[in-house]
Amino acid sequence: MLDRVVTQSGLLELIEELGHTHQLIGPVARPVPECDPPVRHFYQRVKHAGQLDLSFSYCTYSPKEFLFPPSETLFNFEKVDGRFTATPVLDEQRRALVGVHPCDVHAIELLDHVFAKDHADEHYAARRSHTFIIAIDCPTPCTSGVFCADMKTNTATQGYDVMLYPLATGDGANGNGQTRYGAVFGTEAGREWLYYNRRFTSPSAEDERSFKAYPQTKAAAFTRELNTTVDKLPALLDRSYDSLLWEATARRCYSCGSCNLVCPTCYCFDMHDHNELSETCGQRRREWDGCQLPEFAVVAGDHNFRPKAAQRLRHRTYRKAKWVKEQSGLAGCVGCARCDRACTAKISSVEVYNQLAEEA
Amino acid sequence: MKPKVAIFSLTSCEGCSLAILELEDRLLDILGAVEIVNFREGMTPRSWDIDLGFVDGAVSTPEDEKELLTIREHCKVLVAIGACACLGGINTLKNPQGKDSYAPYVYGDQAKWFPTTDAKPISAVVDVDYQLPGCPMVKEEFLRFVQCILAGRTFRLPETAVCVECKKNGNLCLYEKGVVCLGPITRAGCEAICPTYGSKCEACRGIVSEDALKAANINLQEQYDVSLEDVLADLRLFGAHQDTTLP
Ligand code: SF4
Ligand code: SF4
Ligand code: SF4
Ligand code: SF4
Repeated sequence: MLDRVVTQSGLLELIEELGHTHQLIGPVARPVPECDPPVRHFYQRVKHAGQLDLSFSYCTYSPKEFLFPPSETLFNFEKVDGRFTATPVLDEQRRALVGVHPCDVHAIELLDHVFAKDHADEHYAARRSHTFIIAIDCPTPCTSGVFCADMKTNTATQGYDVMLYPLATGDGANGNGQTRYGAVFGTEAGREWLYYNRRFTSPSAEDERSFKAYPQTKAAAFTRELNTTVDKLPALLDRSYDSLLWEATARRCYSCGSCNLVCPTCYCFDMHDHNELSETCGQRRREWDGCQLPEFAVVAGDHNFRPKAAQRLRHRTYRKAKWVKEQSGLAGCVGCARCDRACTAKISSVEVYNQLAEEA
Repeated sequence: MKPKVAIFSLTSCEGCSLAILELEDRLLDILGAVEIVNFREGMTPRSWDIDLGFVDGAVSTPEDEKELLTIREHCKVLVAIGACACLGGINTLKNPQGKDSYAPYVYGDQAKWFPTTDAKPISAVVDVDYQLPGCPMVKEEFLRFVQCILAGRTFRLPETAVCVECKKNGNLCLYEKGVVCLGPITRAGCEAICPTYGSKCEACRGIVSEDALKAANINLQEQYDVSLEDVLADLRLFGAHQDTTLP
């Protein structure tokens, strides 16, 4: 059932108001005349809601960087009178992430799980607890090649404060030709936002009708990309450890790590100390790392557990489709196909899964 | 005692030595920690007892070669800075044309008074302890190097491709625009400055690994409709690759 309904212009006004208390981050269109279509979208910080393009297809990068930045200072240290003191750096800026699609909602759920597990990561937690997530559902695939429906991550029932469903454009009394968004809350903060704002209205009978038809229309719009099912992937991988595919595919791999770096569920990082020239003060920083990079698995004594690209490709595939799921119960891959689009060697995860399924 | 540092230039634009001067405020910190004894861009030479010697420029004349041998003799640690010293740099563009062609082209009928050789990286002539590649050398990397040396920590170049820094910068990959960028095979450390400003990477920091170069050969033939000749020309621009074929 829908909680509330809002028109596109009403929504933008609400987001603008949210901007008084939160940093606004959402999809911004960047013209790229060389591309087809000649525009790409990026999650970016904006001053005004009007700069957002809520009818965006997909964003090149996921919104991960606003919770877990590519590079961040964990603490500053200083040596005073022969003793080191460390001051943690916590980012408690309030942010609203607008336009998070279901795949990325699932990915954020995984990050939440990972960064809370065992020793909770206070840096992630500080950002996460100050972030208000306004998700937008995808009525149709955002672009070709995505396999979120196969991964069962193209819909989300939790992991957001508010989820917006773009309903059929209303006419006359029902929306003046604007997109109407059906809204559902996921948290108490989301509920407050929906119910204490006059721009949100109660759904009309017509809204309820379109919302009822929504899942079916949506399911029909998402074609399958995988020739197997997500539940069968772990067993499939179990049988594929010695497949020749790893070597045959990885001969093309640059080990550039682009697939890791654009992936919304990749959470590995490396840490370094940055000293000032004086050596008495500095920062400990962490930076994104990736399992496809040649030195990712190097340990003390310079031993590399996965010196070959084929081993690394196999490792990544196992992580995405088997291990993460087995360890956390959550999706290790949300089918956004960002890795496939980023790979300049045109190595595709969907193709890897499909070829393994064919072999088996 | 403060380590004695010297900076030398062979055949180059000396832009890398200038990059050191461009460190400005941070240069003062360095000057406090070391003693500079020889620096053509900044002072007159003082001493030949050198702990840490930096060389920019390629070996491109018999004179360069002689000077470099003397430098090596007097430097405990020798560091190549910039694409010219590390890879040969744009100086190597003359090599495939042959000396009989480039010498008269540059010096006309005076050519015989200007002895010149094929350009090569300094490692082709002497042992080199460290390399700080790039055209120009990356100032921040230079600073990190000096910090490591002063603190007795090991210094290593990144073993990752430029794509890593490009992605961290949030760029739209140039391949999406149909541009063949050399980022996937080039050593990172430049903060992907070229792709970030919209130009393809031309491998001025050298090739990150033989495996990446092999992958490029396969991909460019099997996955892309591009002329390998053009790619090789890009790879030769800064001397990253002098062969006429890819592995
Ligand atoms: S993006 Fe492609 S080439 Fe780069 S590491 Fe990943 S699979 Fe290999
Ligand atoms: S592995 Fe690829 S498709 Fe799966 S979540 Fe990561 S980027 Fe998206
Ligand atoms: S991958 Fe699926 S869930 Fe994610 S944006 Fe595209 S259509 Fe939506
Ligand atoms: S633009 Fe170049 S450096 Fe950047 S990701 Fe693409 S290939 Fe790599």
